[in-house]
Amino acid sequence: MADIGALEHLLKPVQALTPDVSIDEVARRFLLDEHRAFLSLPVVDAVQRPCGLISRYRLQDIFMRRFGRELWGTQPVSKVMNPAPLVLQLGTPFETAAAQVTTRLQYPVTEDFILVDGAGRYRGLGTVPHLLKAMEARLLQRNQALQHTLEDLKQSQAQLVQSEKMASLGQMVAGIAHELNTPLGYVGNNVDLLRELSAPLFALNEALAHLSAYLGDPATDEEALAHALEAADAARRAVDAGTLAEDFRQLLEDTDYGLRQISELVGGLKDFSRLDRAPSDDVDLNDCVRAALLIARNNLKGRVEVRQQLQALPPLRCAPSQINQVLLNLLNNAAQAMDGSGIILIKSWADEAQVHLSVEDNGKGMTPEVLERIFDPFFTTKPVGEGTGLGLSISYRIVRDHGGTIRVASRPGRGTRFLITLPLRRAADAAEAGAAPAAPLQREIEHA
Amino acid sequence: MPDTQRPVRLMFVDDESRILRSLALQFRKDYEVLTESDPHLALHRLEQEPIDILVSDQRMPAMNGAELLARARALQPQGIRILLTGYSDVDAAIQALNDGEIFRYLTKPWNPREMDDTIARAAELSLRQRAARAAPAGAAAGADIPHGIAILLLDGDPLVEARVLELCAVDGHHLHRARQVDEAIAILNREHVDIVISDLRLGEHATAPLLKSLAQVRPHALTIVTTPYQDTQALLALINQAQIFRYVLKPVSVKLFERALHAAVTQSRHWRARPQAVVARAAEAPRDEGERAAVNGLVGMLGRLRGRFGAPV
Ligand SMILES: Nc1ncnc2c1ncn2[C@@H]1O[C@H](COP(=O)(O)OP(=O)(O)O)[C@@H](O)[C@H]1O
Ligand SMILES: [Mg+2]
Repeated sequence: MADIGALEHLLKPVQALTPDVSIDEVARRFLLDEHRAFLSLPVVDAVQRPCGLISRYRLQDIFMRRFGRELWGTQPVSKVMNPAPLVLQLGTPFETAAAQVTTRLQYPVTEDFILVDGAGRYRGLGTVPHLLKAMEARLLQRNQALQHTLEDLKQSQAQLVQSEKMASLGQMVAGIAHELNTPLGYVGNNVDLLRELSAPLFALNEALAHLSAYLGDPATDEEALAHALEAADAARRAVDAGTLAEDFRQLLEDTDYGLRQISELVGGLKDFSRLDRAPSDDVDLNDCVRAALLIARNNLKGRVEVRQQLQALPPLRCAPSQINQVLLNLLNNAAQAMDGSGIILIKSWADEAQVHLSVEDNGKGMTPEVLERIFDPFFTTKPVGEGTGLGLSISYRIVRDHGGTIRVASRPGRGTRFLITLPLRRAADAAEAGAAPAAPLQREIEHA
Repeated sequence: MPDTQRPVRLMFVDDESRILRSLALQFRKDYEVLTESDPHLALHRLEQEPIDILVSDQRMPAMNGAELLARARALQPQGIRILLTGYSDVDAAIQALNDGEIFRYLTKPWNPREMDDTIARAAELSLRQRAARAAPAGAAAGADIPHGIAILLLDGDPLVEARVLELCAVDGHHLHRARQVDEAIAILNREHVDIVISDLRLGEHATAPLLKSLAQVRPHALTIVTTPYQDTQALLALINQAQIFRYVLKPVSVKLFERALHAAVTQSRHWRARPQAVVARAAEAPRDEGERAAVNGLVGMLGRLRGRFGAPV
């Protein structure tokens, strides 16, 4: 660590006094150029161990008394020195040393501190301003490190948000890809069947062309004509017009349906994945619900019945891709809260100022302890790989950024209800318009 | 109509009626085709009449395909079952294999020609099975079949090993062990092995090619795969190309592993007692050319086996 030898940097080698040096001599030494920077001079014994410190302040104090110099000038310094000065070992960690110095610090600062080696022998002086400067430098350094850490944290938070985004996006792409396989399956098969079914029609057409050529040729002999007739008749019999027409109709209708299904899914994917689309002014929240449902369908299909009670909503200013992410999160959470089958009820409605949207499930619900923590980043009750614990913390942030609230009520064994409320006019817009700022964000948790 | 002359009967089950219509049109000219969009109605049908080949979707509202196939197996164990799904869902595939003993795992969208081939293969097996059942029983070969059967263990997992050792000691089965693929081939060429228990890795090598060639040469051999991997594509290939009998994930659950082992032993004994019975198993060749060559190479190395046991080709 940088602490080792940190005090060495503060060390100033100053010639120490002996206890018997006279006070006059001490005064003379203080006047020497080399001692200008010091407030005090050290006193050491015969084996170089510090035994006191004499300060300019103390000396002034003595000389300013009446006849002070005359009375005290010839006395040994040991009589007036501070016999218990602050002594620090050079090996002391900087932090400890700084703490010791600052606790003994008094105003005005009148003394320096003595530095000794491991064996306690005098090595030199250290000054308080010097020490304070070193402390300041360290603080600055520490501050910079903190700043870096903070930036790193911010960045990794952004990465986490991104990774949750990618996780839900990946899940959704995989879901849609699989969803496409069903229509692709029958559309492809139908095209193959249509090719097969139409083959006899081409054969019939060819036989009829032959027949008509014979009929139009006066030179045709009876036998060839009979052959052609027979061939045409056989070809006609191979085509069961009634069944064929019905099969064609059905196959084409199903194929049409499948293609529409495919383009709907691909369209949904496109809408949904415009992740960083700018906020837009006229978003119908019900469209977001439908988009999220389309995407979540893969997770819900076959297990979960989705009921929708969507009322007509006024257009809302929001970033639809972000709201989609929130909805997908709520839907996935609801689906994951169910063992086997269950029901999700989605409701939307509006009043003059707000749009409300609730997602309700009859899944396993949450205990109050879990409920307390669900918005915390990384809080999850799901096994590794299944839950990131970020879904709700990110949803919470998105809703907050939209100036809205997200509330939850849950009951173990019964189910959970999330309620999102978004203002029709954003707080920022309202502020611009000179209106009072919106009420602070609520983060309510109810125990139903 | 006598049972032997009845046309092969297929039933497709899918919640998407357009899939059912398309498949019915595809197969109606060669088979008797039934369709159901509700798995419960399908089960009801299975209680009423024999269905030779059952093809089911996986994700359906009322019941998933793996469960339907498992219940169909309980009702008609001789039927051939196929899963046809657009989702790659490992759990469903494992359940369909372990409980439904599926013949194939097919994916949507399917290639019509390959689907034709698969159904034709299944239909042919089904007809042969039916003929064999109708034929007068041959000599009761079962009488001289030793109680014990032969197991080849290609897995060093201590838990698996302990279970197998215990079973062999109690029931008197013969246990062979190999630590390398060529060692395994030598044993397979020398011994009549009924059951192979194998990890997907043995020593330095993957065992899938060996299992796939074994399935081609000797459809009677039952393979239990024990593996920590959960890759749908690999599992799909093992079902279709190695006709594996069970797939047990590691770390193995003792209960699941023992259940798989007992099922395999019961099945093997059953077949040993009826050498004339037709086994409704037929492996598909690997798609990948390199892998196909490797499997064919191994089939050659297992050549003596083919001669000895006269597996139907
Ligand atoms: N609808 C719900 N029903 C029951 N528990 C829920 C529901 N939604 C969220 N939770 C709980 O909140 C936790 C945090 O959710 P979330 O932040 O989305 O992360 P994750 O889903 O990755 O665990 C979940 O692990 C779960 O315990
Ligand atoms: Mg979640």
